[in-house]
Amino acid sequence: MIASLVVTLDRCHSDLHRTMDEIASLPGVEVPGPEGLQYRIPILIDSSCPDVLEERTRQLQQIPGVAFVDVVFVHFEDESGEIPGAPSERPTCHEL
Amino acid sequence: MKFRELRLKGQLAMSFDSEPMDAAFDRRQFIRASAMAAAAAVAGITGPALPILGDESLTGVNWEKAPCRFCGTGCHVQVGVQGGKVVAVAGDRNAEVNKGLLCVKGYHVGAALYGKDRLRKPLLRDGNSYREISWETAISTIADRIQAAPDRFAFYGSGQWTIPEGYAVQKFMKGGLSNNHIDPNARLCMASAVTGFLATYGVDEPAGCYDDLDACDVLIMWGNNPAEMHPVLFSRVIDRRSRGENVLLIDIGTRRTRTTEACQHYLEMKGHGDLAIANGIAHLLIKNGTWSRKFVDQFCSFKAPDDANPNLHGKAITFEDYKALLEPYTPEHVEALSGVSADKIRMLADLFGNPSLKITSLWCMGMNQHTRGTAINSMVHGIHLLSGHFGSPGNAPTSLTGQPSACGTVREVGTLSHALPGGMVVTDAQNRAKAEELWRLPPGRIQETPGHHTVKMWESFCTPTDKGGDISTIWVQVTNPGQTLPNLNKLFNPKGDNKAGLEDKFLIVSDVYPTATTRLADLILPSAMWVEKNGMVGNSERRTQQWFRMVDPPGEARDDCWQTIAVARELFNRGVEGMKDRDGQFLFDIKNGDGAPVPIWEWEHYYDTNVDEHLFEEYRQFTRFKHKDLAPYGEYVKARGLRWPVVESDGQWQETRFRFAEGFDPYVAEGKEIQFYHSSTHDDRAQIWFHPWIAPAELPDNDYPFMLSTGRVLEHWHTGSMTRRIPELSRAMPGAYAEMHPDDAAVYRLRNADRIRVESRRGSLIIPVWIDGRGKPPKGTLFIPFFDETLLVNDLTLDAVDPFSKQPDYKKAAVRISKVPS
Ligand code: SF4
Repeated sequence: MIASLVVTLDRCHSDLHRTMDEIASLPGVEVPGPEGLQYRIPILIDSSCPDVLEERTRQLQQIPGVAFVDVVFVHFEDESGEIPGAPSERPTCHEL
Repeated sequence: MKFRELRLKGQLAMSFDSEPMDAAFDRRQFIRASAMAAAAAVAGITGPALPILGDESLTGVNWEKAPCRFCGTGCHVQVGVQGGKVVAVAGDRNAEVNKGLLCVKGYHVGAALYGKDRLRKPLLRDGNSYREISWETAISTIADRIQAAPDRFAFYGSGQWTIPEGYAVQKFMKGGLSNNHIDPNARLCMASAVTGFLATYGVDEPAGCYDDLDACDVLIMWGNNPAEMHPVLFSRVIDRRSRGENVLLIDIGTRRTRTTEACQHYLEMKGHGDLAIANGIAHLLIKNGTWSRKFVDQFCSFKAPDDANPNLHGKAITFEDYKALLEPYTPEHVEALSGVSADKIRMLADLFGNPSLKITSLWCMGMNQHTRGTAINSMVHGIHLLSGHFGSPGNAPTSLTGQPSACGTVREVGTLSHALPGGMVVTDAQNRAKAEELWRLPPGRIQETPGHHTVKMWESFCTPTDKGGDISTIWVQVTNPGQTLPNLNKLFNPKGDNKAGLEDKFLIVSDVYPTATTRLADLILPSAMWVEKNGMVGNSERRTQQWFRMVDPPGEARDDCWQTIAVARELFNRGVEGMKDRDGQFLFDIKNGDGAPVPIWEWEHYYDTNVDEHLFEEYRQFTRFKHKDLAPYGEYVKARGLRWPVVESDGQWQETRFRFAEGFDPYVAEGKEIQFYHSSTHDDRAQIWFHPWIAPAELPDNDYPFMLSTGRVLEHWHTGSMTRRIPELSRAMPGAYAEMHPDDAAVYRLRNADRIRVESRRGSLIIPVWIDGRGKPPKGTLFIPFFDETLLVNDLTLDAVDPFSKQPDYKKAAVRISKVPS
């Protein structure tokens, strides 16, 4: 799974450089090289585990100074097989 | 073009430049480069184009545009197809709605096609199991049911019907079977927005659009959580702040949400507190003399409910009457009714009283799922009108929708039990005559009595025939009423009860996956979804969008529209008069370029022609009656959607951003400035409504001391029938929970994940608690999301409806809780 995101920073946050460092320290997260402070940061996530995207998105959202996280691109062809069905305690039509 | 260096934990990972790509450029690196370039472009770091997405020769991936399958925001995606399968999705940078962004659901939209339990064959109930049948048998079975009792047949659809799908069912039912029992699930989510617009402007749908979000100084969210429900729109506002713009965000709600975290003000109200707050603002605007006398004198009249003769348009009152009716709603009285402090009410009134500010109001389910939904919708329009915050960019009262075509299909095609396409209604003889003319029907074919609205339809279906239940067969397409109807133990579950006396009732369900609805179905039809078929939808801002089929549906799954037309043809072949027009031709007759009929009722010929285009071009003629003009089909192929009215000017099809405003809306006469040209009082004026505060239909008491609200979560779309099959989303949000306040949890000695029994007067549910979770309900309240088919909160909810919109209230049900021993 390869995905890219845009992280929007809170301009009023007191220490955005630290916010950037925390973003860059997340495993598997790639950020652009330093070119002065941007408030919209493109980010790449490349992982063999599809769950990483959700996990990183959640972690990013929780970093102080991050206002919003949007996804721009996802490539999921490397996932194999089909998606498992939703768990259900109730019988579905096939189980009746 | 120089892109930029990337840093991978401090190391150089790659660089991009304008030189020709090295032939050996690794494919994975290429995809990484595409992904990063897309994000960089959206972040505003590179140039505007995304050329790499279109370069099929390098990746083997063919990219085409489509709107996202999920919510009513209407983001456009670029869909990457390879080997007959959707393999990638990217936000569409050329789309004005989302400018390249997608939310967590949107980027998984492709995976929604590939759940392993996709329905692939028609299935007929055989006792307690199902057997596979042919499509011929399925179509014939439906035709048998309809022929046996045509007036006891009902069609239940949704705002996920594409425009051509909904139009075909509309014509089949009202024009073919002379039967108005067609209603959509949108009755459950935005019917009160419709009646609010009609009562205020005489015509449905927002005057403003998403551009207001880019221009407003103040954004007020009324019972609305766009950070989770319409995240791309909310992100658009947050982005303005990130660029240093000053936007004041105010959340008026019944629980803290992710939206609250981004807002400068949170006004926590009790259920129905919004009615008092709106009156409190109007009261102060008048008392302080800060209402817009010019706007009101020129463009508005006043209305109040007509208690002697309750009706949507009420009775006319004077400004003095209006002022007197508002007199009791002092800030202190409003505080007592709503729970919001008098100071905050004054703050809101001061904002509305400031003509130099641009104010946009947003709302969705909080104001619509409300037994006074029509009233509160009208009242929020009213304070915008009273204060003159209307008709210029950034000044707009705007309702949002939850489904991709709640506007396009339900509201515009009119797939409601009382409606006809293009904003017309069955109760109006002239409207019926116009529809009969365009459909080439004999006069009198369309019935004038509205059919059953959703709650009545299902109540009738779940009532034995000998006890007055006058609906015996329902065909459900693209929705999941077994999970979304309120009070399921009354409106749906009896179908599965052998002792309920409903043996003669027959439920047909077309869907893509097994759901809470298919579990009680007698006949299940496998449907194609999203880019497995052609489609057109209409989003929350009057934007009509189009896409082409890109991949084949699995197994024998087929388009819903084909299913409808195939049944119509079967009835035509059996000689059913209603399936013929006045010349004896089939209702869905389509001819090819040589004038020969195309047998679109045969699946192998369905795509011999573009059925969507034929149906859309026919439907388009209706849209001119109420100035909701749509452009020719081909214009939508070229565009990322166009906002109606779309009118041809100098050979160009021009969309409309702001309705009723001179300079934007082509139907406003020169010099009028603002013209409500569908005014219910026929004088180009909008109505400012007074409605009194009224308590919710059910309030907590000693037996049921908690107030339960239901709703959605970021990761799942509505009932989760698609998103719960996407492992990443399912793992991120695996199951439903009851959010509660820590103080309440302490009283019941509850810790996170303890299980509680939640009981209402209608049903009960055992569910884990989440204390201090994502949302923070105040003391005495609970919140349970409805996405989980294994924990059906609608077993508990109330089926009381708004008197005009007939929309139920899912936000206020009295419940009690008890700890379930582990
Ligand atoms: S905001 Fe809605 S339309 Fe946009 S990507 Fe998310 S689910 Fe899809």
